[in-house]
Amino acid sequence: MIGKIGAMLVLIAACALGAPAQENVPIISGGADFLTSTQGGATTLLPALVPVVAAPLGNHVLFESRGELLEFYSRQNGRTGPYQHQFIWAIDYMQLDFVIDSHLTIVAGRFLTPFNIYNERLAPAWIHNFENGPFTYSFGNGPVGSSTGLMARGVLVARPSYEVNYTAYYSGLVDLNSHWGTGRTAGGRMGVFFPGPRLEAGFSYERYLQDTHRNIEGLYFSWQPKSVPLDVKSEWAHSPSGQGYWLEGLYRLSRFRGPDSALGRLAPVARVEQFHRDQFIAGDGLPGTNLKEGDFGLNYYLPHEIRLNGTYGRQFSSQRNVNVWNFGLTYRFLFPMWPGGSK
Amino acid sequence: MSASIRLKLCLICLLGLFLYAAARCQAQQPQPAQTNSTSATKNAQAPANESEEGEKLFRTNCGRCHNPPEDLSPREARVVLRQMRVRAMLSAEDERLILKYIAP
Repeated sequence: MIGKIGAMLVLIAACALGAPAQENVPIISGGADFLTSTQGGATTLLPALVPVVAAPLGNHVLFESRGELLEFYSRQNGRTGPYQHQFIWAIDYMQLDFVIDSHLTIVAGRFLTPFNIYNERLAPAWIHNFENGPFTYSFGNGPVGSSTGLMARGVLVARPSYEVNYTAYYSGLVDLNSHWGTGRTAGGRMGVFFPGPRLEAGFSYERYLQDTHRNIEGLYFSWQPKSVPLDVKSEWAHSPSGQGYWLEGLYRLSRFRGPDSALGRLAPVARVEQFHRDQFIAGDGLPGTNLKEGDFGLNYYLPHEIRLNGTYGRQFSSQRNVNVWNFGLTYRFLFPMWPGGSK
Repeated sequence: MSASIRLKLCLICLLGLFLYAAARCQAQQPQPAQTNSTSATKNAQAPANESEEGEKLFRTNCGRCHNPPEDLSPREARVVLRQMRVRAMLSAEDERLILKYIAP
């Protein structure tokens, strides 16, 4: 499978290099993030660097990749003992995008699994509103959130009042114990976006083809009304492992003296989520027990793409209830890959 | 169905998909002179309107996930937009107008 994908990548890249290029310069963007989290008295520290490389190859092809370099600090006995640390790295995606038109883009390589919207659109540290991901993150995405194979995506129908978008993908088996590990899956997502009310709703489906075959279904919606600086998003997902949902909202206080005022840079956020476990399936990446959690906090958007984030949450489970405190500092960067590339 | 037949079918599908993609690309290659003159005319006529339209498109498409980026040069913005075109499924015209907004 890897060989076939490699051959496709080479073929497409060769085609791309033959195409006339505009003034394209490869860029490195991404985020540097420092997160401290205390859950039930156990504190962890997580400095992370997440670089994203984007290099256009001609006018229709783009190579893009995102990596993660993390240092995970935790106490030896959970709440007590000296801090120990572990270095973790991963390639989240490394793909070639062959942009044909708005109706069809072919993606080959390792890509973020487009199941619902969190993994593909909201997971990066410089985008998400809460430092801890939702319980339902691993539904359809597995523990790693990536697939290796081919994906087609685009807009099926675009009208002034609505737009229908889709993704369809096939992922092959890659050594499950390696950094690149993915199981064999096929799936897709379809959504309808209404530009008037800025409302999007859609569904996702994935068929897990590795070992025991199983179906995973999901629903999502996203709403950003024009008249209010409000952002509401939600997902629901179901599989034989169980089901769960999350609903979160952000309200930016930009109406108070403008978006660049001290108060206008502040955004209260809140989230509720729940997960119900039906049966234990090894390696599904989902919580082991039934969980409920409510979180609220503040995001503060400083100039120069720096963001502060602090949240408090209360988690309820059949084992014990705990408090969850998170504090994060995120810096988003972007620069060309060589000096003078921005001119 | 045997594994070799499945493999052949997959390869045929991939080849067909690739040929379709290549044909669509070829059909859409713009004539440089026409593109430049069209762009120049549009720029002269209504750059402010295009920037406003770009802002509207940004709020509608990109603003669903993130705020506008700060201080991008046109060359950097072009690459970022290419990347976002894949994520947000933008058309070439959307890409051009949003570029007018984020890197005028």
